[in-house]
Amino acid sequence: MTNSLDAYLILSALLFCIGTFGFLARRNAISMLMSIELMLNGVNLAIVAFGAFNPHLREQGSIIALIVIAVAAGEATVGLAIVMAIFRNRRTPLVDEYDSMRQ
Amino acid sequence: MPYDALIAIIPALPIAGFVFTALAGRRLQASYGRNAASAVPIAVVILSWLAGMAVAYGALTHADPFGATGHAMTLWRWIPAGAFQVDAGFFVDGLTACLLIVVTTIGMLVHIYSIGYMSHDPGTWRFFAYLNLFMTSMLVLVLASSWLVVFVAWELVGLSSYLLIGFWYRKRSAALASKKAFIVNRVGDVGFALGIMAIFVNTGTLDIRTSIERLIAPGAVLTVPIVVVALLVFSGAMGKSAQFPLHVWLPDAMEGPTPVSALIHAATMVNAGVYLVARANPIFGHAQGAMLVVAAIGIFTAILAASIAFTQTDIKRVLAYSTLSQLGYMFAALGVGAWTAAIFHLMAHGFFKGLLFLDSGSVIHAVHEEQDMRRMGGLWRKIPITYGTMLIGSLAIAGIPPLAGFFSKDEILGEAFKNGFLVVWAVGFVVAGMTAFYMFRLMGMTFWGPSHVDPAIEPTIHESPRSMTVSLVLLAIPSVLIGMVLGLPFGGGLLKTWLEPVFGETVALSGHAEAGFALFGIDGALIIASVAVATLGIVVAWRFFGIELGPLRSEPRPKAVVAIAEANGATRFLYRASLNKWWFDELNDLLFIRIGGRLAMAAWWFDRNVVDGTVNGIGSVAVGFGRGLRRVQTGRVQNYALGIAIGLIVMAGSYLVIAGR
Repeated sequence: MTNSLDAYLILSALLFCIGTFGFLARRNAISMLMSIELMLNGVNLAIVAFGAFNPHLREQGSIIALIVIAVAAGEATVGLAIVMAIFRNRRTPLVDEYDSMRQ
Repeated sequence: MPYDALIAIIPALPIAGFVFTALAGRRLQASYGRNAASAVPIAVVILSWLAGMAVAYGALTHADPFGATGHAMTLWRWIPAGAFQVDAGFFVDGLTACLLIVVTTIGMLVHIYSIGYMSHDPGTWRFFAYLNLFMTSMLVLVLASSWLVVFVAWELVGLSSYLLIGFWYRKRSAALASKKAFIVNRVGDVGFALGIMAIFVNTGTLDIRTSIERLIAPGAVLTVPIVVVALLVFSGAMGKSAQFPLHVWLPDAMEGPTPVSALIHAATMVNAGVYLVARANPIFGHAQGAMLVVAAIGIFTAILAASIAFTQTDIKRVLAYSTLSQLGYMFAALGVGAWTAAIFHLMAHGFFKGLLFLDSGSVIHAVHEEQDMRRMGGLWRKIPITYGTMLIGSLAIAGIPPLAGFFSKDEILGEAFKNGFLVVWAVGFVVAGMTAFYMFRLMGMTFWGPSHVDPAIEPTIHESPRSMTVSLVLLAIPSVLIGMVLGLPFGGGLLKTWLEPVFGETVALSGHAEAGFALFGIDGALIIASVAVATLGIVVAWRFFGIELGPLRSEPRPKAVVAIAEANGATRFLYRASLNKWWFDELNDLLFIRIGGRLAMAAWWFDRNVVDGTVNGIGSVAVGFGRGLRRVQTGRVQNYALGIAIGLIVMAGSYLVIAGR
C-alpha cells in the first residue's frame, strides 16, 4: 500500500471531499475560499502523483501542477478582493446574507 | 385644343370655388356679409354652366373632336404601376352631354336659389363651399373616363351628400340622417368596388370604353362572368339611386336644407346610378339576366315608394318618396332596354323634381319652417309664384300632356309594353295613376282647401325673395318644354338622335324589333290609357283633398279619407303599412341593429374569450411556470454550489457507469 499510486489518490480524494464539504457547509466567505484552496490542492496532489508514477507524464505532471498553483494564487487574490469589497458594503462575511440578487 | 381646356375647366372651376370658400369664406362672411361669401361659389358655378353648355353643344352637334362616338382626353397618368395603369382623364359623348346639361343647369339655379333660402343661416359660407364640392364631384363623375376616377367621384358625391344632409349638425335627427345615408351608400359601394375589381380582373384595364370593348368582345375569356360584373355595378347604382332595399336613406336625407334636397337628392346625385347603368349599357346588354333584375327592382321600388307617398304628411318626404318612385321608373326603363327613355326621364325628372323641391322649400320658408302639410292649406293666394310653378311641376310629374313628364313616362311605359315586359308596364301604369294622386293630394293639402296654418304666423306669410322665385320660374320653363323639345316627334325626337351612338348597338343586341311608331295604333292607345289614368289619379285626389283651380272647386273631405282607410281589414292594413313605410326602418332595425348587434356581440365575446383567451392563456402558462421556477433561485451561494456539486457527481457518476460497461 505504501508508495503506491492508490494511496496518493485516496489522500487526494479525501482532501477534495473535505474541501467540497467545507465549501458547501461553511457560511463564512473566507472559510469557503479556504475550502476551495483545499479542493485545488487535492487535485494538485492527484496530478503530481500521476506524474510521479507514470514515466510518460513526468514533465507534464509537474508543469500542470505549477500552473494550477499559479492560477490558484491568482484566484485566491481575486476571491479575497471580492470578499473584502462585499464585506465593506454589507458589513458581514456570511454569504447567506448576500441575497440582493434574490427576487 | 379649345374643347379639352373647356372640358377640364367645367369641374376645375367649382373645386377652385370650394377651396377658396373653405379657406376664406368664414372671414369674408364675418367682414363683408353673406353675399360676399357666396359671390365666388355662385360665379364659378355660372361659369362652369357656360362651359358645360358649350361642351354639351359641341358634343351633341358632333363638332370636331367629338364626332358621333365622343371625345376622350387624358389629363395625366394617375397611377403608373407596372401593368396597372390608370389615367385621370375625361370622356364626353352624347350621354355625358345630357348629364352635363342637367347637372350644371340645375346646380346653377339651386346655387342662385340658395342665396335667398340660406339668408338667415349663420353658416352660409360653409353651405356654398359644400355645394361647390358637390358640383365638382358630380361633374367629375359624369365626365370621368376611368372606372377608378368614377369611383373616387362616386365617393366624393357621397361625402358631400353626407356633409350637406348633416349641415345643421346640431340637430340630432340631421346628424343621424347623414350617418344613415353614408352607411347605406357604403353597402352599395362595396358592390361597386368589387365590380370595378372584377372588370380589371377580366380586362386588365380600368378605362371605361376599352374595358367594355374587351368585356363584350366575341370569344372573350372572362374570369368573372359578365352577369356578375353587371350585378355588382348595379349594386353600386342601387345604393346611390336609393333602390329597394337600399332606399331607406333617401327619405331621411330630407333633414338637410331644401336646396340640397333639390340638387342632390332629387335632380343630380341620385341619378348617378341611372347614369352608371346607362354608361355600362353594353355590359348589361350582354347580361340579359342582370337586366331583368334591374327592371324588377326598379318597378318594385316605383310602386313601393308611391304607396308610401300616399300617407306621408311631411311635404318633403312626399317628394322624397316620389323621387324614389321616379328613379324606380328609370331603372325599370333601363331594365327593359328603353335606354333612351330612361335618360329622357332622368333629364325631365331632374328639372321638374328640382322645381318641386325648390317650391316646397319656398312653401316651407313662407310658413316659417313648417314642413307638416296638415298645418298648411289655402296658400295659393299668398304665394302665387310658388303656387304656379309648383302646379306646373305637379302636372309635369303626373304626366299630363304636353309637359315634360308625359313624354318621358309615356316612352318608358310604351317601350316596356312593346318589348314584352307586360308586368313592368302594368305596374308602371298603376304607379302613373298613384303619382298623379299623391302629387295632387300634396297640392290640395298645401295650396287649396281651408287653411290650417298657425294663426300667429298666418298674417306674415309672404312670397319668397326674388333670388328664389327666379330659379323657380327658370326651372318651370324646362319642366314645360323639355318633353316637347326632346321627345317630339313621337318615336324619334332630338334625344334619340343624341343618344343613338351610345345605345344603338345595345338596342340592336336586345333583339326587340324597333317597332314602328303608330300614333293611331298601339302607341296612341297606350298614350290615351296613361293620360286617362293620370287624370283619374288627379280627379280622385281633388275629390278627397280639395281643389280651387279656376272653375274647378271642391272642398276636402277628410271624413271620406278616414272612412276609406278604416273600411275593412285590408284597407286598414294598407293604410298602416303606407303610414309606417312598410316597416322598413323597423325591419332594418331588427335585422341589423338587434340581430346583427347580437351577432356582433357574440363575435365580440368569442374574440374576447376564445381568441384572446388562447393567446393570454399561452402567456399566463409561461408566467406561471416562471413563477414556479423562481423558487429555485434562492440567492444563497451554498444552494448554487450544492447544485454544482450534485451536477458534477451526476456527470462523473454517469461517465463512470457508461465507461465501466
